[in-house]
Order: sequence, then C-alpha cells, then structure tokens
Amino acid sequence: MSGMLTTFAAKITIMCFAASYGVAFALELWHFLRPRPILRYIAIGFGAAGLLAHIIYLLMHSLPLSSPTGSLLLLAFILSVFYIGEAIHHGRIAWALFVLPIVLGLIGLAMLREPSETSATGWEYYWGVAHGTLLLMAAVGVSVGFIASIMYLMQLRRLQAKLPPNQGLPLFNLERLEEMNRRAILWSFPLLTAGLLSGFALQAYQGILGQGWNNPRILSVVGLWLVVAILLYLRYRVHARGRQVAIMTIIAFAILVIALVFSHPSVTGGAS
Amino acid sequence: MNLLLVGGNFRTMPIELREKLAFDGPKLPAALTELSARFSCEAAIVSTCNRVEIYVARAGAVVAPDADQIAKFLAEFQKLPYDQIRANLYALANQDAVQHLFRVTSSLDSLIVGEGQIAGQIKKAYEAAQLVGTSGVVLHTLFQQGLAVAKRVRTQTGITRGHVSVSSVAVDYVRQVHDHFGDKTILVIGAGKMGALTLKHLRELNPQHILVTNRSPEKAQAIARECGGQAIPWEQLDDALVEADIVLSTTGAPEPIMTRRRFDDILARRSRGTMVILDIAVPRDFDPRIHDGDRACLFNVDDLKRIQDQTLKERQQHVKPAEAIVEAEVKRFTNDWRRKKNGPIIARLTQEFETQRKLMLADLFPRLNGKFDDKDRENIEGAVRLLQNRLLHGIISALTEETPEPTQHTLLEAMMKLFRLER
Repeated sequence: MSGMLTTFAAKITIMCFAASYGVAFALELWHFLRPRPILRYIAIGFGAAGLLAHIIYLLMHSLPLSSPTGSLLLLAFILSVFYIGEAIHHGRIAWALFVLPIVLGLIGLAMLREPSETSATGWEYYWGVAHGTLLLMAAVGVSVGFIASIMYLMQLRRLQAKLPPNQGLPLFNLERLEEMNRRAILWSFPLLTAGLLSGFALQAYQGILGQGWNNPRILSVVGLWLVVAILLYLRYRVHARGRQVAIMTIIAFAILVIALVFSHPSVTGGAS
Repeated sequence: MNLLLVGGNFRTMPIELREKLAFDGPKLPAALTELSARFSCEAAIVSTCNRVEIYVARAGAVVAPDADQIAKFLAEFQKLPYDQIRANLYALANQDAVQHLFRVTSSLDSLIVGEGQIAGQIKKAYEAAQLVGTSGVVLHTLFQQGLAVAKRVRTQTGITRGHVSVSSVAVDYVRQVHDHFGDKTILVIGAGKMGALTLKHLRELNPQHILVTNRSPEKAQAIARECGGQAIPWEQLDDALVEADIVLSTTGAPEPIMTRRRFDDILARRSRGTMVILDIAVPRDFDPRIHDGDRACLFNVDDLKRIQDQTLKERQQHVKPAEAIVEAEVKRFTNDWRRKKNGPIIARLTQEFETQRKLMLADLFPRLNGKFDDKDRENIEGAVRLLQNRLLHGIISALTEETPEPTQHTLLEAMMKLFRLER
C-alpha cells in the first residue's frame, strides 16, 4: 500500500499542481463573471488539490532553498496556503484572482530553471537553510504586501471614479488593505535584514565576503532591503500612506521576483 | 394540490385599505385558526406593508377552497364591507398561485425589485402558520420551496446587489474606506433634515466620537443631545475636520462652506487616514474638487442618487434571468407534486402488469412441454418484459405530464394519450 502511494507521489509533477491552480483560477474568474456559489467551492477544491500535490512534490524532491527552483516553488506553496486560508476565512473576497496569478507566475519561473542540488554539509548547510528560510519568509511578507497593494489601488481607483460600492470584484476596504500592507512590510523588514546579514556571515565563513557584489541576486536582495527600508521610513517618519506606499510595495515585489529568479552562487545551504 | 391564493398588494389596493387589512399582533394566529377550522384547509397569511395574501390548500380533497368565500372571510374578519374589498383582491389557483409566491419571495413582485426584506417576511408568515399548526403538506412544501427559490435567485443573479436608499449608499461608501469605527470620529456640520437618516445609519456604526457643529450653537446642542454627540463651536470647524474621519454636511448655506484652498490647509495638518465626506446639502457645502479618492472621498447628493438609480437600473437587468429561474422552479414544483400525487397509482399499475406477466409465463411454459431450452425461455421472458415496459412507458409518461388543470377527455382521446397513438 505504502509502495503504491510512493509510486503515485513520485509521479506528481509541477504541471499537476500548476494545472490544479490554473483550473481554480479559471473557475474563480467564471464565478466573477457569472456568480454561482458552487463554482467558488469547486475552485477551492481544486486549489486544495493543487496544494496537496504541491506539498507532496516538495517533500519528494527536497529542493534546496538556495536554488531558484526551490525558493520559487516554496514561496508559491506558502502563497497557496495563504490563498486557501483566506478563501475559507474571507470567502467574499476573490482571493484566487489575486493570489493564484502570482502562484502560477512563480511556478512558471521555477519551471524555466533547472533544479540544482546542494553540496554544503555541517554548519555551512544549516546556516544556508537559516539564510534561505529568513529570505523566504520575508518574501512571503513582500508578496502579501503586493497583493494588498494591488487590491488597494483597485479600491482607490473605484473610489476616485465614484463607482457603485458593490460593483466589480469584492475587495476589502482601504483601511484594512492598508493595515494588511503595513503588517506585511513590518513582518518582512526584520526577516529580510536577518536574511541579508546571515548571507554576509556565510560569505565571511566561506572567506568570500566582499566578492561577487555584482551578482544580480545579491544586488536584488540588497535592493529589496533598501526599498522595504524606504517603505518603513515613508510610513513611520514621513507618514506617507495609501497610494504612495502601495506603489513602493509593488516595486519591492518586482525586485523580489528578480532576486528569486537569479541564482545565488555564494550560498549553498538547502532545504531538506 | 387544490391551492388557492386570495389577496391584494400595492398595485391593487391603496395604502389605507392595506392598513385596514393587515394581520398584525394576535390577529394573525386567530385568523389562521379560524380559516383552517371554517374551510377545513391548510392556511398561511402573508401580511406586510405592501401586501396581504391568504394561501389556503386542501391536499387530498376533490373540491378546492372558493375564492369568494375566502374574500368574504377576510372582509368579515377585518370588519370591512365585502363589496369594498372584493374589487381590490386577486385570486390565483394552483400553478398560478405557486408562481405568484415564488415571484413574491424572490422580490420580483416588490415595490422596489430586489429588496431584501420580503424573503424574511414570507419566512415569518410560514413560521406563524407552522406555530398555529395550519400548514400541512402543500403549504409546507410550497413555502420551503419558495424560500429556496428566493435564495437561488439571490445567489445566481445580481437582483439584490447594492442599496437603493441615499443613506444606505452613503454608509456603503463609508464602509469602502473604513474598516472599524470604534476609533473613528464623525463630524456633523449643519442641521439639515436630509442628513437625519444618514446620521442614524452612521450612528449604528458605533463611532468613538460624534462632533456636531452649527452656526447656531443651540441647534448644534440639540442635535448633539439627540445623537449622543458633542457640540463644538462653529469657529472650530477646521480643527474638527483635522480630527474627523467621516463628515456629514447638511447646512443650508447658499455658498460652499469649504473651498479647496481651505481644505488643502486642513489636509496638511492631518495625520489620519482617508476622510469620507458626505455632502448631503443642496447647494453643496464642499468644493467638489476636494475629492481625490485617496486623502478625501467626497460624495454629494447627486453622486449618491446616481448610484441609487444605477443600482435600480442594474437590478432590472437581472429581472429576466430571475424570472427564468422562477419559471423553471414552478415547473419543477408542479411536476414533482404531480409525480408525488400519481406515484401510488403508477406503482399499483406497474405491480399489476408485473403480476399478469408472471402469471402468463407461468401458464405458457408448462404448455410448451419442454420444447424450449433455458436460452429460449430467457429470450421469451425478455421479449414479454420489453413489451410490458413499452406499454407502461406511454401510460407513466402521460400521467407525469398531466396538465395541472383537469381536462375533459373522451375515452378515445384518453386511449390515444395513454398509448401514445398519433392521429
């Protein structure tokens, strides 16, 4: 029996869960155009099936966090968990339409890259895992902030045009979206800082500190840290809010995607 | 199903008459008990400000309740002359009554199409009949199905989407901006009567503070007392705007009290989130250029009325799909009912055919004296069963497709219909 399950699990490919998420997205879109509660339930069902296939794939392949494929797929997985959780908790909001394109985009990017193996061992390996995990958790925060920002700008557009309150996609109100963004950024910054510092420490241990500064991934992570720092400054020192902060968060997410796409040759830790 | 509806609504009766015919308080259970006892029927009464409708049914009886008798009962019970009310009443039977109730429950027959209260009122009417014990198999099925249809219409069409009163639309906009209100300040400017209902709705949000300002301190005090707020001097208007999250402006000023330049100064002093300004005053109190959708969202009467009209117009677009749902559900209901009614007859008929088939074969096979083997016997049994099923198919279909109203058939026509014979 367990042999059959293992064989079945081994057959799961990236396409399996990508297709499930794709169907969930299509059903949610259909529900938006022609509201039928059943479509929403089926969409969540497909999303959950995708999530199950996703976790089995991650467990079966043990992709390292330091590899682009590993970090992209793990981030996509965490965002899918976020989607299912929010879709159940706040069923009114069309989460699938906002979260699943990002999930599918991340999976698509992961598919473009070849999975890589880690050669690190001992202390170096665990340090690498810690570094990757910190950056990944920060990336979750930036992604959630991005989703909140997109929703915020849509809601803002609707208010600016004085459109009917119940027209179009159901969204959270401005205050809640701003709060969601604020929390996501507050969550990201310390994790990003710790992730960056742990990366430098690892480089120092490997005796390569100061080398490879022109590496796109190091540059993009530093750039991301800077943007998030500016975001915090804008919010808490200048009291900037709303649109400005939303746009900055979108920029931060764009940099995050660049950081995730590029490999990081100096960090060799991996997820087990 | 011997279902009858007798009633009147806002289209057939003036409000004065509707008020007199209303079944409020203890009148409702008394009327239900009386109806059920007098006419030996199931009974339910839908009594709202826009309609009074009596539903009666006699499930197994040959004779349906009579519309005139029910109308007479209504007149007698409400102590009104029969002649005065009869002309204002409509009477619908069986399928038409089912359709009417499904349309009413789905708010397709409402004064404002898509209004959300009617389904609740129908539910209450049904519960009242259940409580008194006057709802039986017909009304139970009918009302349950009616409520299910209303839910289907509500979820599958956009007929109930949006609000259609200015004050509700205003609160909807406030909710698009703010999430929680326990830390919010509402500022009321002026004392216009138009804002009273909106203020009532805003108070229901339980804000932290309500500040009231008016050129006349006495008026400000009076409104503050009424709404549980705090009156502030007119001179402190700008300071109050710096602190306000929601503004309700209803002054009778002939000129705008807030120019864009003055408001920009206020915004520069603000550290709070987006301000929602509901300018209900005519002429307007706030310069419309203040609206940027980010720091200040300004909605005036025209904006709110436009949304109100738009919502009503949009609801009209959903009427056709909603009517289609009702139509399909009525058909399904009547077919189900007919199937339920004819079910025992069909079962007996099938059983009779089955018995006759078995008897015939039991008689036939011994007479053939072993001339056929088992395979031949199986073939013969199969052929006879096929013949029986084909004969029954026409009869069963004819019974399930039976027209709701009794129709007069000649024996020849009945035969042709039962056995699917074309002329």
